[in-house]
Amino acid sequence: MSNLIPRIKTTNANWPDRQAIRYHNKLINKYWKNQNDTSAEPLPEFSVQNRSSSQARDISWNMQTVSHLLKRTVTGSTLEEIHTLVNDGMETSIQNLLAEQELPPPPGEWVSEELPDWNSLSSEDIQEIIQSYHNRMRAFQRWWAQRMMNGEMNITEIMTLFWHSYFASGYSKVFYPQAMYQQNNIFRIFSMGNFRDLIRQVTFGPAMMIWLDISGSRKNAPNENYARELMELFTLGVDNYSQNDVVAASHAFTGYVTNGLQTNYDFDTMEGWGYWWTDWHDFDDKTFMGQTGPWTGDDIINMILDRDECAIHICRKIFKWFLYNEPSIDFINNMADVLRTNNYEIKPVLEFLFTNDHFYDSTFVGANIQNPVQLYLGSIKRLKMEYQPFDTNYFNEIQYHLGMVLFEPPDVNGWIGYRSWLNSNTLPLRKVMLFALIIHESPFGNFGSYLNIPSVAQSLVDDDNETYAIIQIVENLAFLFLGIPLNENLRQQLLEIALNGAEPYDWNINLPAYNAQWNRFEDLLQHIMRLPEFQLS
Amino acid sequence: MKRRDFIKSSVVLSALGAGIPSLLLAANKRFSFRNSAIDSDRIVLFIKMNGGNDGLNTVIPFQNASYYQERPLVSIPNGQSLPITDTLALHPALESWQSLFNEQKLAIIQGVGYIDGNLSHFRSSDIWDTGSDEDEELTTGWLGRLLELEYPGFPNNAPDHPLAIQFNSANLLEFKTSESNTALYLYDPDTMYSLITGNYVNDQNEEIPDTYGGDELAFIRELDYMSFNYSQVVNEAAQNAPNTIMNYPNTNIGEQFKVTARLIAGGLATPFYRLYQHGYDTHVEQLYRHEQLLSELADALNAFLTEMDALSLLDRVLIVTTSEFGRRVIENSSEGTDHGTSAPVLVFGSQANGGVFGVDPDLQNLDENGNLPVQFDYRQVFSTIITDWFGLGQETASNVFGEEFESIPFIQSQLSTKNIILPSKFEVQPAYPNPFNPKTTIHFSIPSKSHVKINIFNILGELIQEYNLGFIKPGDQMFTLNGKSLPSGQLMIQLITDFGVMSQKVTLLK
Repeated sequence: MSNLIPRIKTTNANWPDRQAIRYHNKLINKYWKNQNDTSAEPLPEFSVQNRSSSQARDISWNMQTVSHLLKRTVTGSTLEEIHTLVNDGMETSIQNLLAEQELPPPPGEWVSEELPDWNSLSSEDIQEIIQSYHNRMRAFQRWWAQRMMNGEMNITEIMTLFWHSYFASGYSKVFYPQAMYQQNNIFRIFSMGNFRDLIRQVTFGPAMMIWLDISGSRKNAPNENYARELMELFTLGVDNYSQNDVVAASHAFTGYVTNGLQTNYDFDTMEGWGYWWTDWHDFDDKTFMGQTGPWTGDDIINMILDRDECAIHICRKIFKWFLYNEPSIDFINNMADVLRTNNYEIKPVLEFLFTNDHFYDSTFVGANIQNPVQLYLGSIKRLKMEYQPFDTNYFNEIQYHLGMVLFEPPDVNGWIGYRSWLNSNTLPLRKVMLFALIIHESPFGNFGSYLNIPSVAQSLVDDDNETYAIIQIVENLAFLFLGIPLNENLRQQLLEIALNGAEPYDWNINLPAYNAQWNRFEDLLQHIMRLPEFQLS
Repeated sequence: MKRRDFIKSSVVLSALGAGIPSLLLAANKRFSFRNSAIDSDRIVLFIKMNGGNDGLNTVIPFQNASYYQERPLVSIPNGQSLPITDTLALHPALESWQSLFNEQKLAIIQGVGYIDGNLSHFRSSDIWDTGSDEDEELTTGWLGRLLELEYPGFPNNAPDHPLAIQFNSANLLEFKTSESNTALYLYDPDTMYSLITGNYVNDQNEEIPDTYGGDELAFIRELDYMSFNYSQVVNEAAQNAPNTIMNYPNTNIGEQFKVTARLIAGGLATPFYRLYQHGYDTHVEQLYRHEQLLSELADALNAFLTEMDALSLLDRVLIVTTSEFGRRVIENSSEGTDHGTSAPVLVFGSQANGGVFGVDPDLQNLDENGNLPVQFDYRQVFSTIITDWFGLGQETASNVFGEEFESIPFIQSQLSTKNIILPSKFEVQPAYPNPFNPKTTIHFSIPSKSHVKINIFNILGELIQEYNLGFIKPGDQMFTLNGKSLPSGQLMIQLITDFGVMSQKVTLLK
């Protein structure tokens, strides 16, 4: 978990030198790291009494259940999109949700750019390159945000985000945008694929090799960082391995190196190459989990995946991300069975989860405290403001202040989520920064308006419905933006704010944008964003 | 893995969602801690060095040949470290701490940890936070339990001031109770105040569904409510503070110390501050990074203590540095060190018993993983703070940790909460010595808790210095004026309390 970029102890002209690292760190500390740290120690892993009723029953496929599913699997679905899925029926919708997507073109040609020869560059050149790296990462964040809001009713981007948090690797240490892109791409390609393939690709990709100090670890005194986190965080969990296993595994993960773009790992032979491999890899026997042999990194991974705890660990993380922070042990065991039976394919597990009535139990409605990125992007999309993040710096401010900077997780643990998003600083900030979109004023400066209020209001009204437009608006806004279903008191409260003394029939959704009526809509939205229920989904 | 059901006090705690937290709004709302024996003006700052600070390179056994043998590249060269005893020296970045040690203001407790030290960051941090053994899992923090004992029913009947302030993420286990979290996360008092007021929706009386969603909703409402109330109190204290005289380093830890100083000087009665410094997990290229971190910490800490001293608040504060573990004795092949076990805990303060507790690290007798043995259980340190610093009695400490842990005598003047005879009126003694250079002391007594402020005027009647002592406890008190930055000649010392104002002339002869 060191913050320093490791160096291969050879004359490797492609490795960044101290100057480059210093300038890079300066930019990181200034623009990427914030005191609003949302890293937290995860709560002990225990499962509470399951509060849902567990009789098998048919899942009712309606606006409520579809919305519940979509809130957790795509970003910012609108009323129209929810309607579409209701009409499509459960089977088709889930099929589409889990369908493999065509890979997008990369954010730029820089993703495969050759590494500079640092030693030959002047300090001005170095600074220019580092700055361009930082600019590319910013553009990369926006590119990803755009993909998340693409309106496809498909889970791929959220799964990519899930794996990003799972295998949390941070740009501040990885240093090369090429490596960060390569990792993100792996997450996308293998998002619902085979976990064994995924973890091999991640382990032997340049980003992880740098992030957890695999690169350059040598047999005489190997580095224990990856060995421990592999077991503790990625596969087995605390207490399911011993310190001896960590030592043995660390000896197996020797001899691999990367320069930030390429590695010396061969996916076909499952070995390293070059003198780094022959000289630094420990070819001796190691005893790992009771088995002795001349293990390599791949052997360790395979032995770990044989253990029952591994499937449980993976499924628990999936459950926690998609449903709630406190899983029931029985349900996790069922998920783990599906994972093992399907030889570690992730898709069947997701299918199992999303077609199980446990997932749709009313106790889980609103139980998820939204992560800042989805809160922001989801709100923008629902307010039809998709261009917002890109024209202004605001998306950077959101990530930075609300504690979720894409490509810069707070530590190896990723984003714990849930209550760790909220504290006496981020909670008020979440309110203020979100309704800044409506009033165009934020603590970080004012910006132009992308919000077409009449258009949004009209999209919330079904002309065939006889209920007054303003009532439909209140109820639909609450449906889209509040995690907990409206109770009568709150409904009244919201109506009062929207009406502000007028009668429902006074509301006319065909009035032009400058009409004072729309101020009430703004007030209503602002109030909604101040409610605790707004944080939940 | 054992799970221990914690023995709660006999007070039944309200279930979240069923009870509505209500602040006890006293008529005289300012500065009152009710229902607690933590009714002193003493404060503890806990500094977490996150990642596992290398204790061996912090407090160095510089005469021990093994130290250099085991760490050919990572050891601090002999001659560069700063000796404090015949056998121990401090890291070269810690010059200010060497001075503090020589002034008896630094207590070093060697070999602090716990049996079967766990080498996982998260597990070990949890252990330190919850006060558990290695093989048991507790779900509440030791400070959470302490505060819950002292303020039964929290967050109901919560006092006017935050019980604890933390500068890093919320939901640290440390302050967690079975129902709630006793710490307020603070970044900047001004920002906090302006953000929170006006955006608070009062929905405390609304119903909450009996679902997991309802649980999360209740949590958010409570956080909203507490933030709202405490932001006002914190803001008041921050506005009340005299302008800072110190230049705090422009670092994250510097900022944390600066805000803490401001709140203490402004009279905030919060007894616990939790500060954080990240980056100590030095697996790779340790020397450079470690040096940077330690000097950032030392500079910030020094600025803080200097300011406290100048404001005559130094006697009230204690600083304790902790880390989730130390590091391996032998270096690795990446010029770094891996996770270890025990390490020294450093305690700073004018009321600390300066010196070294425990023996030098025994590099010959390492455990099977090559790690240092434990000399003191970490709970001994915490227990001592409960009994000696806050004077809360052994029973409280035993309740918090489930058993008794032997205290370590690193606190000089133990606070006793036994009844004392209170003075019947407000009295001020003449300053002594007078004339003086550089310091003079005024003894005064107040019959009950009072705000105390001291103004210094020069011979022309101009106000040249202000000291805000805050809201201090009754009895015999004293104030020491340091004339280092004051003009030579006649000065007027004005003591302003809730019982009246008294002035006297003194002469500073430089």
